[in-house]
Amino acid sequence: MVATIRLSVPGTLRYRPIAVRAVAEAARLVSGSTPRDAKNPSIDPLAHDIRHPFDTAVVSAFMEIFNNIAIHAYQRKGDGSIEIEITPTKDAIVIEVKDDGRPFDLDNVVDLPAELDEESLPEGGMGIHIAKTMLDEMTYEPGPPNMWRLSKRLSAPQVAVGRS
Amino acid sequence: MPEPFDVQRTSDETKVAIRGSLDINSAPDLSDAIDKIVATRPPKVAVDLSSLDLIDSSGVAALVKLYKGVRANGGAITISGARDQPLAIFKLLRMDKVFNL
Repeated sequence: MVATIRLSVPGTLRYRPIAVRAVAEAARLVSGSTPRDAKNPSIDPLAHDIRHPFDTAVVSAFMEIFNNIAIHAYQRKGDGSIEIEITPTKDAIVIEVKDDGRPFDLDNVVDLPAELDEESLPEGGMGIHIAKTMLDEMTYEPGPPNMWRLSKRLSAPQVAVGRS
Repeated sequence: MPEPFDVQRTSDETKVAIRGSLDINSAPDLSDAIDKIVATRPPKVAVDLSSLDLIDSSGVAALVKLYKGVRANGGAITISGARDQPLAIFKLLRMDKVFNL
């Protein structure tokens, strides 16, 4: 059975932690990771504990896409919602993120410098690069609605180990 | 929620400890603190990331701003303790070598 989790949040950064938390927990369903201090009641329940490489990739990519939508699509005004559909399976996750804001020009994103040194350290434009590199596949279709589709498979060693 | 960072100044070193999630919601506050730190032209800054759980590109940008700001004034800066998701992000961006992580 394939179960899909649907979440709709207002398109502002205020609701980002809720969306990130949902994605993190869905990633854990695939990776089998457990929070470090799951049994420690004194731990801040809002703290994010992302260690498994699969969780890391999925959460890192999603955070950047959420930022992108709130800032670029909705121009920090939040006059619209972000529709999130998360489909975790045994060995993969697919996340579709839709918004009704301004379309994003993905082709206009510049690559990071090939050689990175103190001088060329970037102070911006890293988000899409992070998302793309962390995922197996990332597609974007301008809308309305605009739709990001993020896919990540649990790689063989991660499946074999089950958890880190 | 406590502030996600803590700045301690001694006569010869400025220590910046960052904890929790350094992201688009928390980075602006750190960025303001960074402006103040850089304005004092500190000779030595030590950034401790051992309590940092999560970072996004906004958080990375804030750290880069601190790094460049301190170096531009001829100061020395060390960044240490990165682990888990933040370390993976620095490696992905190939900043681990520049930052000596």
